[in-house]
Amino acid sequence: MSLRLTASVAAGKAATALSRRLGAGAGSNFPGRVVLGIEPRALQRMAAELPRGNVVVSGTNGKTTTSNMLAAILREAGLHPVHNRAGANLLSGITAALAQGSDLRGRPRGDIGLFEVDEATLPAALERLQPRLVVVTNLFRDQLDRYGELESLGRKMSRGIAELAGRRTDALLLLNADDPLVATLGEEGGLSGVSFFGIEHEGYGTRGLEHASDSTHCRVCGALLHYSTTFFGHMGKYACPNCGAARPRPDFAASSLQMRGVEGSSVTVASPLGSFEIEVRVPGLYNVHNALAAAGAAALLGIEPAIIQRGLSGFSTAFGRSERIQARGREIVLVLSKNPAGFNEVIRTVSEAGGKLRLLLALNDLIADGRDISWIWDVDFENLAAVAGSVTATGLRAWDMGLRMKYAGTPAGEIRVIEDMGEALDQALEDTEPQGTLFALTTYTATLKLRDEMLRRGFVKPFWREEAAR
Amino acid sequence: MSRPLTICHLYPELMNIYGDRGNVITLRRRCEWRGMPVEVHEVSLRQRIDPDQYDIFFLGGGQDREQVLVCQDLLEVKGEALRSAAASGACFLTVCGGYQLLGRYFLTYTGETLPGIEIFDAWTEGAQERFIGNMVIEVTGPSGAPLRGVGFENHSGHTYLGETARPLGRVVTGYGNNGVDGMEGCRVGNAIGTYLHGSLLPKNPWLADELLLAALRRHDAGATLAPLDDFMEEHARDAAIARSLGHKGIGRRNR
Repeated sequence: MSLRLTASVAAGKAATALSRRLGAGAGSNFPGRVVLGIEPRALQRMAAELPRGNVVVSGTNGKTTTSNMLAAILREAGLHPVHNRAGANLLSGITAALAQGSDLRGRPRGDIGLFEVDEATLPAALERLQPRLVVVTNLFRDQLDRYGELESLGRKMSRGIAELAGRRTDALLLLNADDPLVATLGEEGGLSGVSFFGIEHEGYGTRGLEHASDSTHCRVCGALLHYSTTFFGHMGKYACPNCGAARPRPDFAASSLQMRGVEGSSVTVASPLGSFEIEVRVPGLYNVHNALAAAGAAALLGIEPAIIQRGLSGFSTAFGRSERIQARGREIVLVLSKNPAGFNEVIRTVSEAGGKLRLLLALNDLIADGRDISWIWDVDFENLAAVAGSVTATGLRAWDMGLRMKYAGTPAGEIRVIEDMGEALDQALEDTEPQGTLFALTTYTATLKLRDEMLRRGFVKPFWREEAAR
Repeated sequence: MSRPLTICHLYPELMNIYGDRGNVITLRRRCEWRGMPVEVHEVSLRQRIDPDQYDIFFLGGGQDREQVLVCQDLLEVKGEALRSAAASGACFLTVCGGYQLLGRYFLTYTGETLPGIEIFDAWTEGAQERFIGNMVIEVTGPSGAPLRGVGFENHSGHTYLGETARPLGRVVTGYGNNGVDGMEGCRVGNAIGTYLHGSLLPKNPWLADELLLAALRRHDAGATLAPLDDFMEEHARDAAIARSLGHKGIGRRNR
């Protein structure tokens, strides 16, 4: 083992410990940069040591939930995944996770790598990790000020995948059949194993497209795609009326489905291994996709349905994604949403709870959230206003969030705008009756900040301590 | 006015890249809050329009591919009607790609020319530098006093105004039309083009009301608009301006 690698890993561990003491957010990329600063090839060297190889999960939404679900299944199967949790999904974050999961000589303590990877970073990550399996959840218009246009992103991802196929022909790819941009990512060629997941059951679909859609063009001939059913956003069953290109048949399909509001759903998965039932303990159709992706990935890794079922049923919510937190005799349901489609799904799900909802809406515009907050006008907050009892808007763009709710139909007098998140949290809890539920819908960095405020108030333990307690 | 104030939302499923429909939401609500009857018609590809049926036309921004489709449709189907509406004083609010399409042409980075419908004496050239970031502008308000507007720009088209075109406003922070002449947007009569997303109108209600009043006055020269309580709008605008002035734009970068 090289001295340079050892030094970089030691430095990385020290940096992580320091980060935690300073209370740096769980999504910090600092430790990883320290490692790479000393040994620029640390990532590929450590990744190559894992006896069972690496799995990469990418896409706009659902990376964290899907990889956490898969991690739960892998652990149930007796494996020890090295996993970059807490959404640190750039190269530095993956490196930090590997350093944390390795001994001082850079040898991994785990046996399989499981990394969620930011879409724009995918080509670079594939090159360094040489994964045995790549999962892509979906591609949505998200943070356009960072990525420019969706199509060029798709092309870059495609090329990265093709390059991986050139280097290892046994690499497997699992794609979302319901997303027209993702479904064709494996076509640049050479991959022997391309599998798909998707929803077959149409009971929760609608006819026609939601307005906030993208990717509605045929990737072959450019004509506008026709959808026979839409699940959410631009996810659905589609075909090209011009050239006949159509949605691929999913290998891992939700052949039957029952949604149960915030409790989650029951899904029958039809697969090459036969049919089996899974319980998804997080809400919304988007989480059905996440569960299908995790189940499909596990199956492709050779794990049998019984273990997949047990792993998923034991799965508890990932950081900031529909977490239930007890606070001063109330329950906070904390849900991260980053973009219109995600937010619309969340609104649909929480509206099922009925009644007059207590809402805490946190909007930030840091780089990780997207500097441009125009997207909030693409979200159907009108549906949320219809079921809103009290609204507290907070975050760096608290006023914009409050304004959106005003135009969505909540009377201005019923909207509190409190920029300081701690104060907003306290006020929103006070506005919630005892035993009641406060729904906190937040953007990415606002989730981290709000969780910090909850930490300060003793509602939650530090995230990494909760991880260690698993 | 004998009929409801009628808004034409053009190509809503194609030209809605970044929340621009917030402008239509704002116009509609500000009518509803005043008890003014209002209707929004969504009009898309291949549908012909009767220019006299509408008071305000809205066209948002879109991705490149969508913009080409819309360009074709404007040339073949709707262009004449829209030009006629503009000439008779109908209001237009067009954002980003929509703004570009109302000019004389768009010369893409790869050298193709997309003709516009020539409501604005302006043209756009696709460049390698993309202008992204918060933008604050200053305009002369209806009373003559300076007013600030705020939003977010994201465009690689650089727009230049011809002799007969006036800008919407002066750039206080941001890049504006072309990053060189310090001007943003274009205004010809009641037709406005802008690079401001945000959406534009919610934080800049004075502009929404200008458009609504202009629409009303086409039918009744003495029409007035009841004032609304814009406390939230003004705070949101001030907060956004403060944030924009504290933070520079994300900066130029290559495509």
